[in-house]
Amino acid sequence: MAAWMIAAALAGAALGTGASDRLAPLPPYGAAYTPTTVDERGLWQQADEAERDLRDSPAVVRDAGLNGYLGKVLCRSVGEDRCRGVRIYVVRAPYFNAFMAPNGMMIVWTGALLRLRDEAELASVLGHEFGHFEMRHGLKTFRRGRTITDIIAWTGVLSPYSTLPVSLVQLHFAYNRAQETEADLLGLRYLAAAGYRSYAASRIWERLMAEEDATALGRKRRVTHRYAAGFFASHPTELTRATYLREAAGAEGERGDEARDTFLTAMKPWRAGFLADQIKLNDFGGSEFLLGELAGGQWTPELLMTRGELYRERGNPRDLVSAAQFYQQAIDSGCTDPIAWRGLGLSLLRGQQEAAGRAALKIYLEKAPQANDRAAMAMLIGEGGVQ
Amino acid sequence: MRGFRRGLKIAAIGLALVAAPVAAGNKLIPAGQPVAVAKSVLTVTPSVEWNRLSARPGRNSESWTFDGDALNDLTFYGGIEPEKTLFREVSKRNKPLPRIKATMLVTDIPTLVENSYRIALDTPLFTVEGMEPMAFAGKPGIRFTYSFTRPNEDLPRKGEGRGAMIDGKLYLITFEAPRLHYFDSGVAAFRQVADSAKL
Repeated sequence: MAAWMIAAALAGAALGTGASDRLAPLPPYGAAYTPTTVDERGLWQQADEAERDLRDSPAVVRDAGLNGYLGKVLCRSVGEDRCRGVRIYVVRAPYFNAFMAPNGMMIVWTGALLRLRDEAELASVLGHEFGHFEMRHGLKTFRRGRTITDIIAWTGVLSPYSTLPVSLVQLHFAYNRAQETEADLLGLRYLAAAGYRSYAASRIWERLMAEEDATALGRKRRVTHRYAAGFFASHPTELTRATYLREAAGAEGERGDEARDTFLTAMKPWRAGFLADQIKLNDFGGSEFLLGELAGGQWTPELLMTRGELYRERGNPRDLVSAAQFYQQAIDSGCTDPIAWRGLGLSLLRGQQEAAGRAALKIYLEKAPQANDRAAMAMLIGEGGVQ
Repeated sequence: MRGFRRGLKIAAIGLALVAAPVAAGNKLIPAGQPVAVAKSVLTVTPSVEWNRLSARPGRNSESWTFDGDALNDLTFYGGIEPEKTLFREVSKRNKPLPRIKATMLVTDIPTLVENSYRIALDTPLFTVEGMEPMAFAGKPGIRFTYSFTRPNEDLPRKGEGRGAMIDGKLYLITFEAPRLHYFDSGVAAFRQVADSAKL
């Protein structure tokens, strides 16, 4: 009994979707675009409200330089006419993520900015998210989801013992995965059209897979390479994405602009803060992998110092020895940040090397006389305070 | 015999569960009397009345409040042992909390609090504002101040902590409240409690 009902409802849904899609011919990024259907108006209203909340949130990074740079990359990637319909918000969150609301609000997490290597990769992320907006994926998911949950509800009421066909639930989640793929490929076309190196898109997923593995190993979890999307997965696996993006980029993928230097210059004032947020996650395996990736064989003083902080904060006896070495290497290779001497001093003190530790902390206080932990560090040196 | 006693025990627990109202166990802490806190040897003598909450953040901890823990929260950590976490770990596999090390210096206590909060609350908005030496129960200790914001809540909160590493164990008292009104109105009572700490 359930089968014919589902068939009928799906057919109705298909007709309904088709009819309302024809009523919305204007692109959603157009100037002063007004949503046309009831569903779209509702969805935009919800998104507008979420955007008002986000706008006032203390988690948003409001720097004009950083936001201006992201806007510039988006415009180069998708074109001046399209990018004007989008507001980008950089949100302070130390994980890789970016998403797009149906009303043109784009959110990029700082963890994504830390993990991207060049402007081409940034453009591929922004282009992908813009693809969701342009294709009105939010609206389609909403309609599809409503139809399917309606069917689930009705079959539940009418025949409580009938089990829902597995294919129906599968269809719901497969639909989301198809949208992700569609946005991926649209993003790739933007990347190529803007003259960026289109292999960039597949490289992101390859690195994310490796980082997830490193996190799992660090937490003594089993490493699970997923070669196929799970039944309830809303996104294709990273492996699938890396593969089809690499294939779609084709032989032309290696050509084009990476704009690595421009990207690194724009991120330079932010890197230290993003790194600090990352190592405070207590994800030793993932952070160590990420630092190695960012270094790419060339450990800068900044990365060495961060690596020292990572090891010192885990604090096993052997970690403290390694941490002291990393701080020392940072100092030897020209580090000017007083934090390196602070870290060196604290690692040595915890490792029972008191004289050397105190000497390093003394240098820290000379270099950072206004530090907010001055009195506490002076106590460790033995100058005043309660000992 | 053993089986019978175990049966009795289970029955008693069952009865307790059935009979317990939801908020049972919150208790008034009278002013002026020494009281042992956090299931430990740590003793304090408050000069005003507090309410002890029945819910504990972890095995060796205890929370007091005036108006509810969202508005003012005084928490005692009574001798957390090495390789334990500051408070209860939600997921050891996916969100592991940092562990206490016997070699920790007092200046590592604020970092431990910061990282534990960032992971447990899922917020990067946590800053240690400053730290300075201050005796804790007659031992070398530290006083530190911090500010943080919980996710999906734009309310800025302030906190102050006083702690020490004693025989490789962490002793810590924290006070936190919204920056608006509640922190300033409650912090003096917290400082008095922290000053009265004895081991």
